[in-house]
Amino acid sequence: MNAPAIELLGLTKRFGETLALDRVDLVVQPGQVFGFLGRNGAGKTTALRILSGLARPTSGTARVLGHDVTHATDAVRAQIGFLPDVPGFYPWMTAREYLEFAGRLFGLDRATLDARADALLEMAGLASVTTRVGGFSRGMKQRLGIAQALINAPSLLMLDEPTSALDPIGRREVLEMVGSLRGRTTVFFSTHILADVERVCDSVAILERGRIVASAGIAELTSRASADRLVVEIDGDGAATAVAAALTGRAWVKALEATDGTLRMTVSDLPAAQREIPAAITAAGVALRRFEVEEASLEDVFVELVGGPAS
Amino acid sequence: MTGFDAFLGKEFTEIRRTWRLWVIPGMLVFFGVTSPIIAALTPSLVKSMAESQPGVVIQVPPPTAVDAFAQFIKNLNQFVLIAVVITGAGVVSGERSSGTAILALTKPLSRGAFVVAKMLSQVTLLAVATALGTVVCLAMTTVIFDGAVGSRLAMAVGLWLLYAFLLVVVMTLFSAAFRSRGAAAGAGLGFYFLTLLLSAWGPAARYTFVGTMPVMRDALLGEPMSAAWPVVSGVAAIVLGVVMAVGIFDRKEL
Repeated sequence: MNAPAIELLGLTKRFGETLALDRVDLVVQPGQVFGFLGRNGAGKTTALRILSGLARPTSGTARVLGHDVTHATDAVRAQIGFLPDVPGFYPWMTAREYLEFAGRLFGLDRATLDARADALLEMAGLASVTTRVGGFSRGMKQRLGIAQALINAPSLLMLDEPTSALDPIGRREVLEMVGSLRGRTTVFFSTHILADVERVCDSVAILERGRIVASAGIAELTSRASADRLVVEIDGDGAATAVAAALTGRAWVKALEATDGTLRMTVSDLPAAQREIPAAITAAGVALRRFEVEEASLEDVFVELVGGPAS
Repeated sequence: MTGFDAFLGKEFTEIRRTWRLWVIPGMLVFFGVTSPIIAALTPSLVKSMAESQPGVVIQVPPPTAVDAFAQFIKNLNQFVLIAVVITGAGVVSGERSSGTAILALTKPLSRGAFVVAKMLSQVTLLAVATALGTVVCLAMTTVIFDGAVGSRLAMAVGLWLLYAFLLVVVMTLFSAAFRSRGAAAGAGLGFYFLTLLLSAWGPAARYTFVGTMPVMRDALLGEPMSAAWPVVSGVAAIVLGVVMAVGIFDRKEL
C-alpha cells in the first residue's frame, strides 16, 4: 500500500508564546483532493510552510510522500508542487521565462520543458502575454503561481489559498483544473472559502486555533451533522409554541426554536425524536404537516465546529 | 549543490537585465576615467586656491602616474566599497521579503546553492567591472602621464579585490542573517569602518586581512611589502564567511 501523501503526527509549532499548531494529526491519502479549511489565522499557512520545508516543527512529525519533511531530499522535493499564499516572482522575467527557470531547477530537459511551459501557459491564460511579471495583476500572478507549481508534474500539489485573489471566472478555472487532477495527483489546498471546498474536495480537515476539529470526507461530515437536525411544520396558530413547550426538557432535545408554525431542533437521539415528536403533536391536538431531517451544508458544519461565520 | 547551475544562470541574467549591471561597473569605469584627470588637475587647483589668499605659498610637486593610481585606489576604497555594502545588503533579504526565495527554495535548490550562487555572481560582476575600470584607468594614465607602471596598479587592485570579495561574502552573510535590508546595510557599514580603523593598528595590519589596505600603498609605490599574512588571512576569512553564511541561512525559517 502506498504511503499517505501527507501525514502529520502531533505536529506542534510555537512562535514564542503563541501556539500556531497544537498537536495536529492528519492523514491525506494519495490521489485525494483535500481541503484544509479554517479561518484566517487558524494555522493553515504555518502547516503548509512546515510541509514545504520552509519552517520546522517545534515538536511532532510531518511526512510528505512517506518522508520526514525536516530531512526531505531533493528527490522528494522534485515530486512536490507548491504555491504560497502570495507568490513572489522576479519582476524582470516574463511568465515563460519563470516557468523555464522553475523547470531548470527541477532538471527538466529542453523538450519536456518547452511542452509543459506551452501547456501550462495556455491553461493559465498567459500564453499570449509578453509583458514582464512586474506588470501583472494579482490574479495573473496567482495563475502563474499555479502553473509553476505544476511544471514538474508533481505527485503532491500543495496550494495555499489558491483562489483568494482570483475573479469568479479565474476561480472557476482554477477549481476545474484542481478537480481534473483528482486520482492522478494529490491536491492539498488551504482555503477559507467554503464553496471552493464543497465544489472540488473529496475530504476536508477543519483547523481552528491550531487544532484539527474535524477531518473526514465531505459527504460523511455533512451527513453526520444532518443526522441530528430536524425541521417540523405544524398547522394551527400558536401550535408550534405549545408543542415546543411540551418537548422542552426531554433528554434528547439539544436545541429547539419555534417560529410561525415551524420547529427547528437539534437532537441527540433521532429514533426517540421520531417517536416522541409526532406523539406530542397529537397530544396537542394539532396536525403535523412536515417532518424532515434537515441536510446540513459544509457551512453549517463549519459554523457549528468553529463557532462563527466564515467567508 | 542541486539547482546551482540554474540559479546561477538566473543571477547572471538578473544582473544583465536590471540596474545591477550599471551601478558598480559604471562607478569603476567612471573612476577609471576621472582619477588620472583629477590627479593631473589637483596641483593647479591647489595653486589657484593659494593665489587667491595673499601671503599663502603652497608648494605642490608635479603630479605623476603614481598619483593617478593612488587616486583610483582611494576612490575604490571609499565609494565602491560602500556601494558593495549597499547593493549587497538586499541580496538575500530582498528575496526573502519579496517571496521569490520561497518559490525557488521549495524546488530542488539547496539553501547552500542559493547562497553560494549569490556570492559567485556578485564576485564575478565585481571582478569584471574592476578589470574594466583598471584598464580604463591605466589607459588614461598612460595618455596623461609618463612612466605608468601597470604591474604596480595591477598588484594594488588585486589586493583591493581580495578585500572587496571578503566584503561581498560578509554582506551576503549579513543579508542572510537579517530579515531587514537596512539592518544588513548597517552591520556591513560597521564592518567596513571597523576594518578601516584596524588597518591603522600595526599588529592587525601585519597579521590580518585589514593589512591589505596599507599594503596597497606599498604596492603602488613599488616598495617592498609583506602581503603574505593579509592575503592568507583574507582567503581564510572568505572561506569562513561562506561557511557561516550557508550555515545561518540553512537554519532560517522562511
